Amino acid sequence: MIQFDATFFWQILNFLILLFILAKFAYKPLMKVLDERRARVANDLETAEKTRVEAEALKEQYSKQLAEARTEATAIIDKANKAGQKVHDDYVAQAQAEKDQMMAAAKQNIANEKDQAMTDVRAQVIALATEIAGKVVDQKLNSAADQELVAKTADSVLNK
Amino acid sequence: MGTAEQASNEIIHYLPMQLDFLGMTVRMQTLYMSWLACILTIVIVWCITSGSKMIPGRAQVALEMFFDALGGLIESNLGKEGREKLQAFFFTLFLYLFVSNELGVFLPSIGVHFTSPTNDVNTVFALSILVMVIAYIYGIGRNGIHYFGHFVKPYLPFLPLNLIEEIAKPVTLALRLFGNILAGEILLIVLYKLCPWVIPDIWVLFSLFVGVLQAFVFTMLSIINIAPSFVKH
Repeated sequence: MIQFDATFFWQILNFLILLFILAKFAYKPLMKVLDERRARVANDLETAEKTRVEAEALKEQYSKQLAEARTEATAIIDKANKAGQKVHDDYVAQAQAEKDQMMAAAKQNIANEKDQAMTDVRAQVIALATEIAGKVVDQKLNSAADQELVAKTADSVLNK
Repeated sequence: MGTAEQASNEIIHYLPMQLDFLGMTVRMQTLYMSWLACILTIVIVWCITSGSKMIPGRAQVALEMFFDALGGLIESNLGKEGREKLQAFFFTLFLYLFVSNELGVFLPSIGVHFTSPTNDVNTVFALSILVMVIAYIYGIGRNGIHYFGHFVKPYLPFLPLNLIEEIAKPVTLALRLFGNILAGEILLIVLYKLCPWVIPDIWVLFSLFVGVLQAFVFTMLSIINIAPSFVKH
């Protein structure tokens, strides 16, 4: 064991054969798997990064759209409120105008009716009073002067 | 193959078999154990990597972590190119040394006395000189004749010192491993003779640790010895 002999050369040969076998049948497949895995991990990481960036962009886009939609909705609601208020105001104003108009018409009617009634009452009072007076004094009071007198009397009573 | 009785009666039991090869002796015990270590290494690696999956199991994760760690060490010393070219070599070197070192702590009581192939100077020198040959091949291949310039650095009078250092590199690399493993095995057998209980078991644990450590040290120093070849001269 402490002598140099031909074992030396055999050992070199042994090791070289072992090296050849391992390099060919173990080292290469192992390296292949390692390389493949490295490539796949790198690829996966790249894809993940890409997806993440895309997701960020989408999120940003959605946020922007959401904000826009919110602004738009607020604007629409404001507009609707304003329109509603306007319609309300218009109706109120129209109703007020109609009411005023109706009140004026009613007042006019009442005045007209009153005047008409007064005229009718006056004519009937004159006629009645004349008849009564004629019967009371038993004479005919049909001269224009009589009529004028009765009318004056009736007017002064009615206007009392 | 000896029985447990026979095995424990010898300091290090070798098979009596020797072969002559071109007039030189071939120590078959060392070779048998080397082959066993090679087969075990292949089996271990095959078991772990045969089902290499995209999503790895625990054993595969452990092997890949070790592989990456060793690759990191190589890259920090030899650069990216060195890693690509020599990762398989250092990976094999470490696993082979690891299995070889641990073989020697199998107890004689199993009936066959396993020894570490690394308790033979031929094995350790074969590996350390292989490392230096690789260093020279890459050094000359990348720098041409300028690679030898580092022998006269910083000045010409340093040539003898540099030469001694160059020779000392493989020698110390080999003898460190050889000494550690052989001493561990001898001590294990001596301890079995002195006190067959508990104490040898503690020493077995320590030897297991030494086996890993020395395999790592040998691999690490090999990387460092090859590193100058990947530096521009």
